[in-house]
Amino acid sequence: MSVDFATLETGQELSDKSYVLDAQTVERYIGAVGDGSGIYQPADDRPIVPAMAVAALGLRGIVADLGIPEGTVHAGQELDFSAVVRVGDALRCRAVLSQNTVRGETRLVSLRLTVEDGVGRQVMTGKTTLLMPGGVAHA
Amino acid sequence: MKEGEALRSVTKQITQEAISEYAAASGDMNPIHVDQEFAAQSQFGGTIAHGMMVAASVSEMMIAEFGMDWIESGRLKLRFRAPVYPGSGITAYGKVKRVREADGGSEVVCSVGVRSESGEDAVTGEATVKTEAPG
Repeated sequence: MSVDFATLETGQELSDKSYVLDAQTVERYIGAVGDGSGIYQPADDRPIVPAMAVAALGLRGIVADLGIPEGTVHAGQELDFSAVVRVGDALRCRAVLSQNTVRGETRLVSLRLTVEDGVGRQVMTGKTTLLMPGGVAHA
Repeated sequence: MKEGEALRSVTKQITQEAISEYAAASGDMNPIHVDQEFAAQSQFGGTIAHGMMVAASVSEMMIAEFGMDWIESGRLKLRFRAPVYPGSGITAYGKVKRVREADGGSEVVCSVGVRSESGEDAVTGEATVKTEAPG
């Protein structure tokens, strides 16, 4: 799926994804970033998921929903962690458009993110700022 | 922790293999990260690491200093200022900017960043955490 960002308005909900963080996905993330914090203990019954993994894996659904244009650059990221997430937790990640402006050849898009667990408890909020090429519709 | 105190830095190597693995794990297959031909024609002249991949080293540093307090109350505000290329080493660094009493404990505000081997700041920003320890 792809989205023509020129047609989107601020305040519009762009993505609403529910997912379960499984051990395989979390371990793949940890391997990729080389996380040596030790916060993730695979031998635990329900290991703690590193906070940045919650953010990155939450963004995964948004990337899939929006079909972010090729060449887009991540310009900024704000994150606010408020609760522990464990492997096996059901999460819901929503993204709302908070900025959508064109400056020259670049479109500046900001998304407000909210991640809740299975009982509706907020575990993370954030803001993602992206610089998109062209500011035009894409394939 | 005291104002001016440095956080323990975290250093790692960014490889194309790790970038590709991160792309698969995160679902972010933007060709700027994984397609050499596409990236060569871009403003960067080659593939670059995902911003969130680089930023993970900041969170790792904060976990090392603040443990579960970071997981439960961490706040991060980052700007991605320069690309990190595969084959580059990066170092996450930080310093305590302010400590103030908050809710019976303390709130610690740190300036943080990630520097590449060339000495360029790839990421800069601020990290805030509430701890039970008094300020």
